[in-house]
Amino acid sequence: MKVYYKATYTYKILRGLGLTAESLISRLGIIVMYGIEFFKGLKNKPTTAKELMYQCYRFGVTSLPITISIVGMTSIIVAMQVAGEMVKQGAGNYVGMLVAILMVREEAAIMAGFALISMIGSSMASELATMKVTEQIDAIQVLKVNPVHYLLTPRILAGTMMMPVVVIISSLIGIAGGAVASNLVSGLTFKAYFDSVWFGLNLHDLKVCIMKSFSFGFVITLISCSFGMQAKDGAKGVGYATTKAVVWSFVAIVIVDLIFAAACFY
Amino acid sequence: MGIEVKNLVKTFGKKVILDDISFKVDDGKILSIVGFSGSGKSTVLKLISGLLEKDSGEINTTGGDIAMVFQYSALFDSLNVFDNISFALQERKDLRGKYTRKELEKIVAEKLELVGLSGIEDKFPSELSGGMQKRVSFARAIVTEPKIILYDEPTAGLDPISSTLIEDYIVRLKNETNAASIVVTHQMSTIRRTADSVLMLYNGHAVFEGSPDELCREETPYTRQFVEAAIDGPMKMN
Repeated sequence: MKVYYKATYTYKILRGLGLTAESLISRLGIIVMYGIEFFKGLKNKPTTAKELMYQCYRFGVTSLPITISIVGMTSIIVAMQVAGEMVKQGAGNYVGMLVAILMVREEAAIMAGFALISMIGSSMASELATMKVTEQIDAIQVLKVNPVHYLLTPRILAGTMMMPVVVIISSLIGIAGGAVASNLVSGLTFKAYFDSVWFGLNLHDLKVCIMKSFSFGFVITLISCSFGMQAKDGAKGVGYATTKAVVWSFVAIVIVDLIFAAACFY
Repeated sequence: MGIEVKNLVKTFGKKVILDDISFKVDDGKILSIVGFSGSGKSTVLKLISGLLEKDSGEINTTGGDIAMVFQYSALFDSLNVFDNISFALQERKDLRGKYTRKELEKIVAEKLELVGLSGIEDKFPSELSGGMQKRVSFARAIVTEPKIILYDEPTAGLDPISSTLIEDYIVRLKNETNAASIVVTHQMSTIRRTADSVLMLYNGHAVFEGSPDELCREETPYTRQFVEAAIDGPMKMN
């Protein structure tokens, strides 16, 4: 009997792992298929300028106040934590550099990414999921319009194009926020702070930041839209798709971030 | 030819939804598919419209477009009535740019007039009643002059008067377009007022095929149970 229970328990664990792996691979496959369809669709001029502009506005403009606030406050917190101590240790000239590198290489993109997943990614996922469960996407298909080209292309294109804009603006605000915080906390002059910024940052950092932002924008919108398009089972399905889209997007941008860090700075 | 379905089989996993279903609908005729929920009625429409892939069997249709009217209209809620109706003409790859704005306005106005809703082009779906949404979805369905029109429970959720109006429009659209139509419904009134023939499905099988009069007269246990809406009978609700 003892052996029987052990075998059952092991079987359950293995079966659970197997099913999880199967679901993960299948989901990844679906996301990749949507990505391929998106690139195919680009050739056919699938979207109107009006729709693209609306999605750009939605992704880039409506999200800006929140992303700026989050990135700005993060940089202020960092500056408040380190500026006083660094000035005391005679390293005040490096505060600007530290904040700027942190912002441009890492914080602005990842924090803006998190903010955009929460605001825009979730909204795209739930919007498409609602369209799916109310048969609007089926209706598009029956009318012989490719739903991926019509719905996903403008969203993914807008996300990919606008993410660098959001990240660059957020970085600038973040660096400026760091200057104010350093000045208030430790009396570091603006000149000393910005001299340190120019000294510390280089073109490579900026290039990586922009490339990373493009990737984040693409990944967030692709994953969010993919989950939305696959929703089923009514209101519950919309909630499930939205949650999954947010979780997967969070994990995905951290993985992309890790790849960039490993490939570009080591 | 209209629609000709031969030996159609569809399964979802191990569950057989449609098992060897065959029927034919000629141009200008309406077939009503009836049966309990889950009997595979809507699946037939999704297979004909290409939303689902069949496992085996044949679906032959007259060339040209297939239109479908969805159970809850499925109007695009972010678009107004004009953009909803002209959606295919504006977005379909082979039609995009073919029509000027004025031509689109004329076509939409014609279709709206056909469903008795002139002058509502600027309204959004949320501003319309259920019956009006359904009629707008009729207008959207016929905008490309389809040869086949599929209706998925067109009177579901509507009051009796709106249902009667919708039934009249189904017949009117059939007469105007000469399309072969399939109406999936639960309601005897819809069958009586619209159908030329009736197919009853149960557990994936066709258990009756004939005219609406025959459905009412037929003394088989299946037809009796359906017509009399009896709980007791050979068909069990899942």
